[in-house]
Amino acid sequence: MGIFTLILFFLSGVLPAQNPYFQTHPLAEAYRNARLELIFEDRNSLLWLGSSEGLFAYNGLDHIPYLTEENGDSHVRSIYQDAEGVLWVGYHSGAVYSLENGKLQKWEPEEGTPAVPITGFCEDGQGRLWIATYGEGLYFLDKGRIYNINRDDGLLGDEIYVIKKGPDGNIWAGTDGGISICSYKDNEKLLEELTREDGLPDEIVRTLLLDEKGNFWVGTYGAGVCYFDTRKQLFSYPFPDWEYGVVSELELFRELELWIGTEGDGVRVYSLRDSSLKPMSLDNSLENAKIYDLHRDVEGNIWVISNTHGLCHSNRQFSFLETPFSNIQAVLSDEAGRFWAGNGEGLFLWSDPSSGIPEFQAQLKEYELNVISLYEDKFGNIWVGTFGEGIYIFHPDKEDIRHLNENDGIANGSVLSMAGVNGKLWLATLGGVTELEIEADPLLMKSILTHNFDQEDGLGTNFIYKVFIDSRERPWFATDGKGISVLENNQIQNYQYASLNKDSFDHVHSLNRVYSITEDRNGNIWFSTAKDGIFKFDGNGFQQLTVKEGIRDLAITSLVTDPKGNILIVHPNGVDILDPETCHLIYYDEEVGIRNIDPNLNVVCKDGKGDIWMGCRNGIVQYITLKEKLEIHPRTILNAVSVFLEPFDFRNRNRFSYDQNNLVFDYMGLWYTDPETVKYRYQLDGYDLDWITTRDRRVTYSNLPAGSYIFKISATENDAWLDEPVIYYAFTVQMPVWKQGWFLFLIGIFLAAVFLYYQKERDKRLQRVSLLEKEKAESQLAALKAQINPHFLFNSFNTLAAIIEENRSGAVEYVEKLSDFYRSMLQFRDKELIPLEEELEMVKNYSYLLQKRFGNNFSLQIELKEKQVFIVPLTLQILLENAVKHNVISKSKPLNVLVCMDGPDYIMVKNNLQKKIKPEDSTHFGLQSLVKRYELISKKRIRIEENGEYFRVSIPLLK
Amino acid sequence: MLFVLCSVSGYGQKEVYLSREAQVSFVSDAPLELIRASSSGLQGVIDPEEGTFAFRVSIRSFDGFNSPLQREHFNENYMESDVYSEAVFSGRIIEEIDFEKEGEYTLRAKGKLSIHGVSNERIIKSEVVVEKNEILLTAFFTVLLEEHDIDIPRIVYQKIAEEIEVKVEAVLKKVER
Repeated sequence: MGIFTLILFFLSGVLPAQNPYFQTHPLAEAYRNARLELIFEDRNSLLWLGSSEGLFAYNGLDHIPYLTEENGDSHVRSIYQDAEGVLWVGYHSGAVYSLENGKLQKWEPEEGTPAVPITGFCEDGQGRLWIATYGEGLYFLDKGRIYNINRDDGLLGDEIYVIKKGPDGNIWAGTDGGISICSYKDNEKLLEELTREDGLPDEIVRTLLLDEKGNFWVGTYGAGVCYFDTRKQLFSYPFPDWEYGVVSELELFRELELWIGTEGDGVRVYSLRDSSLKPMSLDNSLENAKIYDLHRDVEGNIWVISNTHGLCHSNRQFSFLETPFSNIQAVLSDEAGRFWAGNGEGLFLWSDPSSGIPEFQAQLKEYELNVISLYEDKFGNIWVGTFGEGIYIFHPDKEDIRHLNENDGIANGSVLSMAGVNGKLWLATLGGVTELEIEADPLLMKSILTHNFDQEDGLGTNFIYKVFIDSRERPWFATDGKGISVLENNQIQNYQYASLNKDSFDHVHSLNRVYSITEDRNGNIWFSTAKDGIFKFDGNGFQQLTVKEGIRDLAITSLVTDPKGNILIVHPNGVDILDPETCHLIYYDEEVGIRNIDPNLNVVCKDGKGDIWMGCRNGIVQYITLKEKLEIHPRTILNAVSVFLEPFDFRNRNRFSYDQNNLVFDYMGLWYTDPETVKYRYQLDGYDLDWITTRDRRVTYSNLPAGSYIFKISATENDAWLDEPVIYYAFTVQMPVWKQGWFLFLIGIFLAAVFLYYQKERDKRLQRVSLLEKEKAESQLAALKAQINPHFLFNSFNTLAAIIEENRSGAVEYVEKLSDFYRSMLQFRDKELIPLEEELEMVKNYSYLLQKRFGNNFSLQIELKEKQVFIVPLTLQILLENAVKHNVISKSKPLNVLVCMDGPDYIMVKNNLQKKIKPEDSTHFGLQSLVKRYELISKKRIRIEENGEYFRVSIPLLK
Repeated sequence: MLFVLCSVSGYGQKEVYLSREAQVSFVSDAPLELIRASSSGLQGVIDPEEGTFAFRVSIRSFDGFNSPLQREHFNENYMESDVYSEAVFSGRIIEEIDFEKEGEYTLRAKGKLSIHGVSNERIIKSEVVVEKNEILLTAFFTVLLEEHDIDIPRIVYQKIAEEIEVKVEAVLKKVER
């Protein structure tokens, strides 16, 4: 036995502390030389890493570089996202960049940028951006101007290590001289300070962390960490004897623990629950790491950047503890905070679990117990249930020990589970259930009242795996093959068949073997079965969750409810956490360090703080319920939309032209707990008929027809597709311009205009034609008037009478000419146009008639060569008649009429002007009507010219 | 002003840089009118040891306006030169520069800029060439009329920019004091 103790002691000496399991995230080979120093989580929960070589976005799998174009600006010293979502990056060179449209843009204000490292950004209560530098103090932006606060203004030091917004909206800056609290009001810089005089243990303040109460944790250079109550304005010192050197970073799990990063002593974790300070190992070895940064993410992971391990992370909910004994069969955390574990080789006690260092001592060695269950009663006695040997009861601080077996009335010597309430204790045994009365300390009582229940009493079977007491203080029993039984009002009710559908008996399920029982926050009973998954029983009906619902391992060993009311499902491959309302499951396994834990049935217990301990084959898993609200889904981000591989500004635009119809969507789902498991499903509403599931983070759509679409993308970490949030991007691929309504409308308008124009033109033409008709009629009328002009006839007949006397044959000729003239006139008057030749012929006849009358006092001279032209009929005749009508014709004043060409296009009728003193009555109808007629049929107009000497009219020729 | 110059130089014998040729000019680029004026009356001193500096210019020394009338308006109506006769910028240089070392530097001067009797804290960036016993300094900055309570009547609103661009060029020589 001595050797055994020695071995145990030896083992516990080398065993590392209880630890969460850390996974490292090395940078890609291409960035081998980059030293990671910063980690920042933006509002989309995307991680940004600052390194000596530049900025990276990190989704848990790939590093996406965001590099500046200037060589000097590579060493990232600070990262910040402002209220508008703009990411600010500060460099060692003093340069400041902002991330816009996926590119780093250098900030170049009029005032210039600092020449020293940028160590932090922060926005104050008024939304002003503050910038901390190492060497030039603080800068802040107000109304477009940059202002500086440095030593000259009363800042405690120009070297700023950290800035944070205080609970009052002021800026807290950690310097070499203490904490300066700065604000800017009414164009005044206001500075307050916290120094050694106020109780700061060291003037060099390296880091500040605001907690949920509005108080600050302060990490110092030489005096460790202190806590400042901002309301009471008081410092407190949890570590008066800090011996781990410079504090570089702090991170907090609310009401749980403070993580302290040091410059050379790795990470220390200060428990806010028991005030212990434990070293945190990143890889199960004790290391003297320099910690650059610490970060707690939205999934409950803690990220650590150190010089020894680079970037690594761990899920804080689970920590793993190797035990020097294996195959644990029972665990118990007692009221005093001690931890008990039992297996086939005995009982082991860990007196101080808060130390984090497992130091187990074997107990009751002399009894050689095969421990299969543990229980603590209200008197602080430990009950040890064994396989075949009944129960041993003892108090850790007392010598007494009491043994109970079948002789004392318990149903069977193999006690698999114990649970009690209100002075009653129920034992689940291989021979039924035993109810014990323990109103008084069982170590002092002479005999303990027992009452046994078995199959006869209605219990499903006599093999009971588990007894569980619900919030209504009813004991539930998990039976081997006959479902669950409950003891209510001293009556046992057994449920062997689960009706899954209340309205029909088709889905009645035989429950068979039940292993574990728990209760959710709504009072529903959940139990696990050997092969059929888990069931919920709400008092009336049952609901089954099995592989289809996401239960990934049916060999469930335990169900246990955490303080938030979620149900932990423990199975050989890990632990799944079930939200009882949404039935959402989160899987935890090797990535949190708990793969192949191979637990025994119902080896779980809850301690006084609500932590859950699970005994496994080779150790113990501790589950801590974090107070923070944790994300249970991957955060899905639509990163980019590209058109023919060109990035598209999809955040501001959603219209694509008809030829921009080759679209690529890039997205990612952030699930840092296990990035490899993330799967996606997408659907393009208006194109895809159903969801498409993929592991790719990109989808291409080519040749999308015009129309409206909604791209939907969702990510899951557990394949369940129950309540995963969906990201939507609605967009339109437009019709080509010639198919769009407005274009067709315009075309319609245009056609209508053309039609109207045509109509109008036709009306005009018709009008002109009718006018022409009218003018024609008028000129005919004029000609007819001339024909029947009594003067003309009278004169003609006088002339004829004279000729008849003198020259008979001449008279005959005259009459012939006269009749020719009249015939021509009758012939022509209906015609639009006649050849010039014919008109000339008629004019010659007319002239003959006139010459007979006036003799040599009248002469007509025709000088024309052009004959192949047309003329309005009677034009020349009317002009000739006018000349005769309006002019004196006498021997002394003969009238000479000339018909000749006037340029190539006109024919001119010209006469010498010798107007009659008394003008003859005239309607002026003839000439006017001619002018109008020509206006209608020709673009050229009749030209009329009159001076003292002559009168001439030029008629356009029509070809 | 003399006080400022003296206070910068402090006690005892020490080296300071005093302006030799120094010019300050400004441009007001308003929609309706472009106004330029400059002054060679800029005086300045830099104490390399303390990193302090002071510059001043008499407002009346500005010349080169579009018209004499404009200059009169500038002095009488806007700048009120009889009351606020000069503009001053004094303070301390943010960067630590070794003026013994020749070279080109970008300096940011943090100080009080006093124009029209209103003094504002400003950071002004300047490009500096340090030569032996000599500093060549060039700086551009903007002055918002509103920041210095310079009122512009509505009628000439379109003629005077709200933001005045100022350029300073100065040569400072090392002297013993």
